[in-house]
Amino acid sequence: MTRGTYLEPASLDEALRLLAEHDGAALVAGGTDLVVGTRQGKRTLPETLVAIHRLPGLDGIAEEDGALAIGALATHDAIERSELVRGRWTALADASAIVGSPATRHVATLGGNLANASPAMETGAPLVVFGAEVELRGQGGSRTVPVEGLWAGPGRTTAAAGEMITGVRVPAPADGSGSAYVRLEYRRAMEIAVVGAAALVTIGAGAVSDARVALTAVAPTIVRSPAAEGALRGREPTAEAIAAAAAAVHDAATPISDVRGSDAYRRAMIEVMARRAIDVAARRAAGEAVPIPATMTVGGTR
Amino acid sequence: MATAAQTKFIRPDGKDKVTGLGRYTADLTMTGMLHACFRYADHAHARIRSIDTAKARALPGVFYVMTDKDVPDVRYGPFVEDRTLFARDVVRYEGEVVAAVAATTPEIAREAAALIDVDYEPLPVVSDVEAALADGAPLVHEGWSGYSASGDVVREGNDASRSTIVKGDVDAALASADAVVKERYVADMSHAVPIEPHAAIAQWQGDRVTVWSSTQVPYIARSGVATTLEIPEGHVRIIVPHLGGGFGGKCEFHYEAHVAALARATDRPVRLVFSRSEEFFAPDHRREGQVIELETGVMNDGTLVARRGRLILDNGAYSADAPFFPQLAAMHAVGPYRIPNVSVDASLAYTNTTPSGSVRAPTAPQACWAVEQHMDSVAASIGMDPVELRRRNILKEGDTTATNQVLEPIGAAETLERAVELIGYGKALPEDEAIGVGCGWWPSFGGPSGAFVKLNGDGSGTIITGAQECGTGAVMALPILVAEELGMRPEDFSILAQDTDAGGWDAGASGSQTTFNNGRAVIEAAREVRAQLLELAEEELEASREDIELVEGAARVKGSPTKSVPITTLADKAQGDRLLLGKGSGSPPPSPDVDASGCTGRLGMETFAAPTFITHAVRVRVDRETGVCRVLEVAASHDCGVILNPVGAEGQVEGGVVMGIGMATLEGSIVGEDGRQRNPHLLDYKLQTSADAPPISIAFVDAPSPYGGPKGSKGTGEPPCVPTPGAIGNAIAQVTGARVHQLPMTPERVWAAAHGVDA
Amino acid sequence: MSHACTLQVNGISYPLELDAGRTLLTVLRGELGLTGAKEGCDDSECGACMVLVDGRPVNSCSYLALQADGREITTVEGLAKGGELHPLQAAFLDEGGVQCGFCTPGMLISAEALLRRNPNPSEDEVRLALGGNLCRCTGYQKIARAVLAAAPGANA
Repeated sequence: MTRGTYLEPASLDEALRLLAEHDGAALVAGGTDLVVGTRQGKRTLPETLVAIHRLPGLDGIAEEDGALAIGALATHDAIERSELVRGRWTALADASAIVGSPATRHVATLGGNLANASPAMETGAPLVVFGAEVELRGQGGSRTVPVEGLWAGPGRTTAAAGEMITGVRVPAPADGSGSAYVRLEYRRAMEIAVVGAAALVTIGAGAVSDARVALTAVAPTIVRSPAAEGALRGREPTAEAIAAAAAAVHDAATPISDVRGSDAYRRAMIEVMARRAIDVAARRAAGEAVPIPATMTVGGTR
Repeated sequence: MATAAQTKFIRPDGKDKVTGLGRYTADLTMTGMLHACFRYADHAHARIRSIDTAKARALPGVFYVMTDKDVPDVRYGPFVEDRTLFARDVVRYEGEVVAAVAATTPEIAREAAALIDVDYEPLPVVSDVEAALADGAPLVHEGWSGYSASGDVVREGNDASRSTIVKGDVDAALASADAVVKERYVADMSHAVPIEPHAAIAQWQGDRVTVWSSTQVPYIARSGVATTLEIPEGHVRIIVPHLGGGFGGKCEFHYEAHVAALARATDRPVRLVFSRSEEFFAPDHRREGQVIELETGVMNDGTLVARRGRLILDNGAYSADAPFFPQLAAMHAVGPYRIPNVSVDASLAYTNTTPSGSVRAPTAPQACWAVEQHMDSVAASIGMDPVELRRRNILKEGDTTATNQVLEPIGAAETLERAVELIGYGKALPEDEAIGVGCGWWPSFGGPSGAFVKLNGDGSGTIITGAQECGTGAVMALPILVAEELGMRPEDFSILAQDTDAGGWDAGASGSQTTFNNGRAVIEAAREVRAQLLELAEEELEASREDIELVEGAARVKGSPTKSVPITTLADKAQGDRLLLGKGSGSPPPSPDVDASGCTGRLGMETFAAPTFITHAVRVRVDRETGVCRVLEVAASHDCGVILNPVGAEGQVEGGVVMGIGMATLEGSIVGEDGRQRNPHLLDYKLQTSADAPPISIAFVDAPSPYGGPKGSKGTGEPPCVPTPGAIGNAIAQVTGARVHQLPMTPERVWAAAHGVDA
Repeated sequence: MSHACTLQVNGISYPLELDAGRTLLTVLRGELGLTGAKEGCDDSECGACMVLVDGRPVNSCSYLALQADGREITTVEGLAKGGELHPLQAAFLDEGGVQCGFCTPGMLISAEALLRRNPNPSEDEVRLALGGNLCRCTGYQKIARAVLAAAPGANA
């Protein structure tokens, strides 16, 4: 491990200045990706570390102008426990509640999760179905990108050098909506998605007026399934309609084989996860209180 | 009065462990200590053309870079001497040590190890056991026939040990059977995974070396260091600080000699601490993969008439203690059942993978997983309930085994009845749940073991023993046994152990043997002390020793409770005058007769001395769509003889059951065609978590064994992980209607079987 | 370059000069001589290294020491007070929840974090809260019982 330089800015502006001044500097918040990756020998720790875990004002979880504003430093533990998130952005609570272990959730942040850009990240698919926007800030100013536009591939983002994720703005789902995130997991703790799916279903007058479906760990980034969404719109959310929509996710799923599962298994499972996510979302849209996390209510580890 | 075993006795090392003040090997630091790091083979099979250590040696902070040239020319191995400390000419698996570095920090040592230039000529990799035994397969050891080996090991080419058991006429019996079921099962490699990784520190004083090591077997480690470094055994002292679990993974002699050699070369203490990934691929003690083919003939009334078996076990690249595995696996291929006609043939194939070795009940969970699923298939073939089939064939007193061992009174049938009763076999269940049952057996291992017991002037006692505690509860059972002999409390005794210069020889925390053998030794030692106390008490009480008893911390005249003298008083009087000291080893219990004339490759496993019998019943829910299983409840019934330490015995059962669930469902190494493990870390080699582990109810058949250890006890440490995977396999098959023929029965494999997909 | 910092561990202040990449675990075990927290894995999967940072459970193997500057750190060595075992420590011993003991420090810390937040957990809540602490000896049953027995709300 490098002896390196450790910098702990007192303000966001200082953090951005340090990031700009130190080429190749890395931000560290909870350290659960960066430090773990180093210990596993996947990478060496960057020469300069800019520790942002104590930056003030970046860990908020609040409703702003009808949308959910989450600071980049909000932890999964805080997100999972937020009544605001649980009530209207339920799929995100479903996801944060199953990240790693309690210890992971206490330090790992939403910003870190997004920046790590793993296609298996839990919070990605929920943010995609909600149409979240990520705020990126650099010394030159700030910009927002749709969350799907943040990821360039496994472990890669479109953030420019010197830019950091400061927060996420998540639009409120329309009235009559429900959402859910479900993953395939082999144990009841310490898991990572083998595949996963998030769904947002809005029901009006007995039929699906809007639907979003996003898939985890079946492509180089989190992806949406337009075919599944299209199959739901205008339909009554019956078991048959939901199954048909789930069967359509293969338009977007191009899984690989690895130690966690073969491509064939992942293909079969993404359909199951999508169906379960859509089903829970529809039930929640109808007012049913399906417990959080949904995975442990409808999955094999329940 | 409650016996000591029934009284709540807190483990003597407990406070040290809960306060965090207890030291494990990696917690120790020596003045001037250097840090060791290994350079492992870069290929699973390759010829070494050259090793250039110049760059590594030039790195500031590096004290020494060691290779094969720096140590004596010694081959070693408990059955077959096929190993060297450092790779010589050829590397045969990814974790083979090519070089070792000693440096001022672990980071520098790691950097230096990476700077060693090794030029290789890659050789064909043998990673599949059946391919290894095929005609014309590349030899993992070209010079195998030149290795010294125990005369009883039957070897040929890549088959490192072959064993057969034949009884009766299998062909004729299969021909006459009402139904014949033939199946094939494959078990993947898995691991012991103690939570503490290996660690060792060596420090020389003159020509003697002390090694603090996380070993389960300090006396065997001592021999290993002496043999490989060609120094007298008396010059080697092994001390084991607190040991963070073993489960077989820390059996055998591992890396003590490497650190001792580095410490001698540098005139510094040297410490080696493994990372978790090294823990997976380097040590020669993982649980071997198996290919198991079984064919069974049964009559319509459920009588088993014949069993044919062909097993190939994966030895890995070198022979640790695995050469006795084929015979042991062959015994498990028959299982705890009466089968009059048996023919089992088992081989141990060399491959270019991490060497196998004893891991908690070696060979048994895998073989039993196949046999117990096979039993359910046999039951289905005649339309019989699987528990009923077992009931009709399970071994009982007077039955003979495949090696014609006549069984003493045993509780096998009772374990079956109690387990199915505990779980509520037959009760109504949701459609995605089922109950599976598995039976198994496991021998006790009698052998030499030594201990001393002394009483100190203040009346406290010290047990000086060769026994090794690795979380198994030896530190509880031994004081309980000694205290009972002396009419004292277990709390009155301290234990001096895990130091080869102190205690007598012991086989270590292996083979479920500690209480079985060392318990006998401490009782014998305590009886000597008892005699000494009675002699003192005769003078004090003016009574003859026949009339004196030791109870409640006092010597007292039987029938006259007021005529007594405290043991503390006797100990005080003896101090400085007479030594209250006893020694013990004791003869191992007699071994039952067998007729193994039908066996070849005999390495002692034809006898199942004081066998433990086990039945586990599991309730499992299967998510049919994903193949994900959750074990909801386990009932475990064991005949492990008389229970000496209930808390310890329960801990063994509960831990063994959960290890078995892990093996059944998720624990398996994925080995690439290049011979490398692809998941040598805990995120993708998944142990059961507390959230996964089910409630476990236990019923001990608490009956004495005539061939048993102290008070008729049997081994308890290993059996609990034996029948769990098979029971789970049976439950899965009942839910899905499809049997899973590969272990671990991962969600993908369960799904593939249920949906008719090739996984 | 080294960086000055002060770690507050079990109520004691330790002024230190540390390199940037040092993990909290290596500093606790090295400079501070507190070896209760263990290193059991490479990927923050085993929980043997767990400590409390400002009352929250943290895997100290993947947390930079400098990030803990000025924060209140509790290791397993800090649980017993005035020679008295912490109720969790006593319960682990009473219930037989300790075998090899290597996971015990992390288990105790996880359990302490749980009970501070939820003084009366259900067994499933206990089992989920300890999900990041692997144990190979006990099968978790006696550990779960110990945590339930030590819960302040257990007898309420």
